Amino acid sequence: MAETEEKQSAGNIVMVTEGGAIPNPHEFHLINAWSISLTLALTSLFALCIIWPEPYLRILFYLPDGIVVTFQITLLSICFAVPIGFITGIGRISQNRCIKLIASTYVEIIRGIPLLVQLFYIYYALSRFFQVSGIASAVTAISICYGAYMGEVFRAGIAAIPRGQTEASRSLGFNRFQTMAYVILPQAMRTILPPVGNECIAMLKDTALVSIMAVPDIMQRARSFVGTTYLYFETYTVIALVYLVITLLLSKAVSIMEAKLNYYDRKSR
Amino acid sequence: MTENLDNKTVISMRGVWKYFDSLPALQDVNLDVSAKERVVIIGPSGSGKSTALRSINRLEEIDKGTILVNGLDIMDKSNNINLIRHKVGMVFQQFNLFPHKTVLQNVTLAPIKLLKLTRDEAEERAFGLLKKVGISEKANVYPSMLSGGQQQRVAIARALAMQPEIMLFDEPTSALDPEMVGEVLNVMIALAEEGMTMVCVTHEMGFARTVADRVIFMDQGQILEAGEPDLLFDNPRHPRLKFFLNHIL
Repeated sequence: MAETEEKQSAGNIVMVTEGGAIPNPHEFHLINAWSISLTLALTSLFALCIIWPEPYLRILFYLPDGIVVTFQITLLSICFAVPIGFITGIGRISQNRCIKLIASTYVEIIRGIPLLVQLFYIYYALSRFFQVSGIASAVTAISICYGAYMGEVFRAGIAAIPRGQTEASRSLGFNRFQTMAYVILPQAMRTILPPVGNECIAMLKDTALVSIMAVPDIMQRARSFVGTTYLYFETYTVIALVYLVITLLLSKAVSIMEAKLNYYDRKSR
Repeated sequence: MTENLDNKTVISMRGVWKYFDSLPALQDVNLDVSAKERVVIIGPSGSGKSTALRSINRLEEIDKGTILVNGLDIMDKSNNINLIRHKVGMVFQQFNLFPHKTVLQNVTLAPIKLLKLTRDEAEERAFGLLKKVGISEKANVYPSMLSGGQQQRVAIARALAMQPEIMLFDEPTSALDPEMVGEVLNVMIALAEEGMTMVCVTHEMGFARTVADRVIFMDQGQILEAGEPDLLFDNPRHPRLKFFLNHIL
């Protein structure tokens, strides 16, 4: 028994997409990769805008509408992708063979198709049957895609909880759902939340793809700015720095959350 | 020892078989446990003693035979296994406390959610039990702050909080440092003296001798010998049991 439990708890999260690296919450040095990156990004952004307000400041002021749209798409997609991921993760460890197969097939198919192709498929290919707005198809495609990725995170997080926890809960008289709700999920959250946060950051970056469907996100705003001014270098420099600042701040938020979730595991040492 | 028992049979295993893949883990196990009886199961590792114990509250699903708990067939789908489990407490080798809950929350969770006790009622019951197992001063710490012996005593309190009629112990002291074995055994002895029906898988022969009404020796999924502890330990009849006792004492 002891051996299998160790094996199970050792089986930890496997990352399935590249996201921003989440800062180690136990890293308290003032100088680290995260703080250097953020300082560099912010100072270059400010320096550029102060030294050459024309065109850098003009570019920066042109972006806020796009930032709002990027966040809208990201938040909407998170609202759908997390439940999809949860259901998929539960499905993948279901004892019902049929449910397990459906969930696994979904993950297998979606992971094998590039997000850009999925976006085009929903926006252009399916437009033969029904017309959906750019934002709606963006949210649909990203949710379906990231739901599959997050399904893996949920599956691994739940599977990492030792079997003894389920047995202790069931032996008290809790049914399967109560065991999941009171015992397994609260513990799994700790391992699930950081990679889910990571997926959300990766998702925010991937929303740049929707600019191709003329959705006015950060990237699309940049493209339209370039279209009238031909300032490729200046515009895309600002865009890169803006994305960098956003993702760095978000990954810090995730790491703070991660540290808070570790409240019960401090040894008495 | 047996004269103070009333005759009500609370656990009845009849012709129980269990396979792991094609390997038989239990072979035609028959065991009756009366109310207030203390049964200790001993045997070498892999003998099926834990499997037998775990099948009583259906943590292991048996392949053949019947198991009645308080007269209810636990494999019968029309009997709610969760309600049967309310009355059967279990203590595990690895404690299996809920690490995200404090000691107090570990003990109150099931009574609040399953027995619909108010939080105050559940905490009053929990403090009583924690006092009984001698650990009430640790009510608000998380299990990771406790020693193994303390964790196991909390686990016993957690099981008792459902006010079970039967307690199952699956090698409760095997994962403990030697100096902590005593504190857990003392709690179990006190429980036995109160008249709790107990089935215990253990390697603690001293405990078996002093507490058990009946000792069961298992090997290769079969019950090879059963009897009063003095008889079984001093005059083992089965050669396998003789060999086993020679090698552990």
